[in-house]
Amino acid sequence: MTQEARDNMSHVDDGTLHAYLDGELPPVERARLEAHVAECAACRTRLEEERALIERASGLLGLAQPPERLAPPLHQLRRPRLAWRLRVPLTWAATVVLALGIGYYAGNERVAGIASAPEGRVANSAVLDSSTTLDRRANDALAYSAGERRQLVTTTRPPAQAARQKQAAPEPQANVDGSVVRSQLDSGAAASGVVTFQPRAALRLPAAPAPQPATPPSRALQEVTVQPGIVVNDLASARGRLVATQWPIIRRGPARDILGAEPVGIPGLAVRSIRRSPTGQVVLVEQAIDSATVIQLFQERVEADQLAPLQYRRSDSARMPADVRGFAWGTERLARFIGGVRVEISGPLSADSLNRLLEQVKPIGP
Amino acid sequence: MPEDLAEIYRSTYRSLVRFLYRKVWDAERAEDLAQEAFARALVHKPENARGWLFIVAANMARDEARKAARERRHLTLLKSEPEALHTEPEDQIDAETRRERVRTALDLLTPRDREALLLWDAGMSYDEIAGQTGLARGAIGTTLSRARRRLVEAYDAGSEGQHVARG
Repeated sequence: MTQEARDNMSHVDDGTLHAYLDGELPPVERARLEAHVAECAACRTRLEEERALIERASGLLGLAQPPERLAPPLHQLRRPRLAWRLRVPLTWAATVVLALGIGYYAGNERVAGIASAPEGRVANSAVLDSSTTLDRRANDALAYSAGERRQLVTTTRPPAQAARQKQAAPEPQANVDGSVVRSQLDSGAAASGVVTFQPRAALRLPAAPAPQPATPPSRALQEVTVQPGIVVNDLASARGRLVATQWPIIRRGPARDILGAEPVGIPGLAVRSIRRSPTGQVVLVEQAIDSATVIQLFQERVEADQLAPLQYRRSDSARMPADVRGFAWGTERLARFIGGVRVEISGPLSADSLNRLLEQVKPIGP
Repeated sequence: MPEDLAEIYRSTYRSLVRFLYRKVWDAERAEDLAQEAFARALVHKPENARGWLFIVAANMARDEARKAARERRHLTLLKSEPEALHTEPEDQIDAETRRERVRTALDLLTPRDREALLLWDAGMSYDEIAGQTGLARGAIGTTLSRARRRLVEAYDAGSEGQHVARG
């Protein structure tokens, strides 16, 4: 090496040394560096210093390691958190409705004599592949004080259905809302090849509904203010009870048999009930945070080759909501694997809260 | 399922969890996000799946950070959370302290330096890091050397003065 070359190389910069030590220096540069270091004691020293630095930094990062845990099989992965930000307002709205405690479920009861007045606004929101319909009905069972304005909750329905609903609404017919929703979900479930249970929603229908101007169904609104005397069709809050009527209560033993493991729950919360799906594959543990807030933990056994990959690609939401797909309105669904069990949490709380709760679930002790 | 993605899952899942963990600092969240990234890859079938995964993961981690403040509000919900875990042996506490110091030190790096370092640690090549960060390939060595030096310095400074403000 000439003197000139040595001078040029006398300032091997740190970046080059690190690239060399990382094995990322292109061959030509590498050869040049090695030739220089062989003759230059100062650079040899620096090289060793940098090597020590790299090891030290790597060691420090090694102190910040997550615990090693087994990865679930690739084909069992889902996307539980898609569009959180879109859904959060929905969730919040559902919470509001639960808090207000308006609307309630009345089993198979049908209330005849629907009002002939046009329905309130129908609004769609662009939440994933479903849309949000705002369905409001006058309800004399719940008399808000005059002039009071309330916020309403949305329930999710396919856009086409929303339009149909809007059309159907003015016609006098028994329980128009419940039956329309039911048929929607029936068709939706049939289309996806899963029919596990069906919703039944009953409404208290208005004796003298307040006429509301209809607005285009494309309004992407999660909430609106309404005039007094109007109440939301609160299917979301009925959801838990819908499941409750259709899913038999079981003891922990049979739940364990279904899951091949102990059912899980959130420590410190009372278990309201353990249920199984009509098909007997999903266990539902319901726990109450307070009298108005029930958390549902849907659990099923996962096995390596249980599902064809196609089923996972079909939709973003999990397979488990097949049972409950139509009812996830305004509630978050997050999932997690615990041992051989896939657990989904659902409830009228924000995604953040549900997620924190989901992190805590543990097998329910005797 | 594309075979190559299955292979990438095997080879990269832990790296991705580790990468995410150093962003969200919660092992289970990191796993959830990593799994979500792979689930998305199953749907999107990106061409450069590995790089794509890290980009998606980095974005999710950033969203996660934005949500962190909101999440803290909800922690009041969880007062029943067992505190018993804190009766750990001494060396456990030490490990926790050191981990916190590393976290603090990492927080003191510039985002670009930190990203390059975490990507390198996740097993990415200089070419891949360049692709991820937009840095020139020739600048990766310099970036990494700076990131490593600052990490070590910040960690040592944090060890001397225990009360370095958290970023």
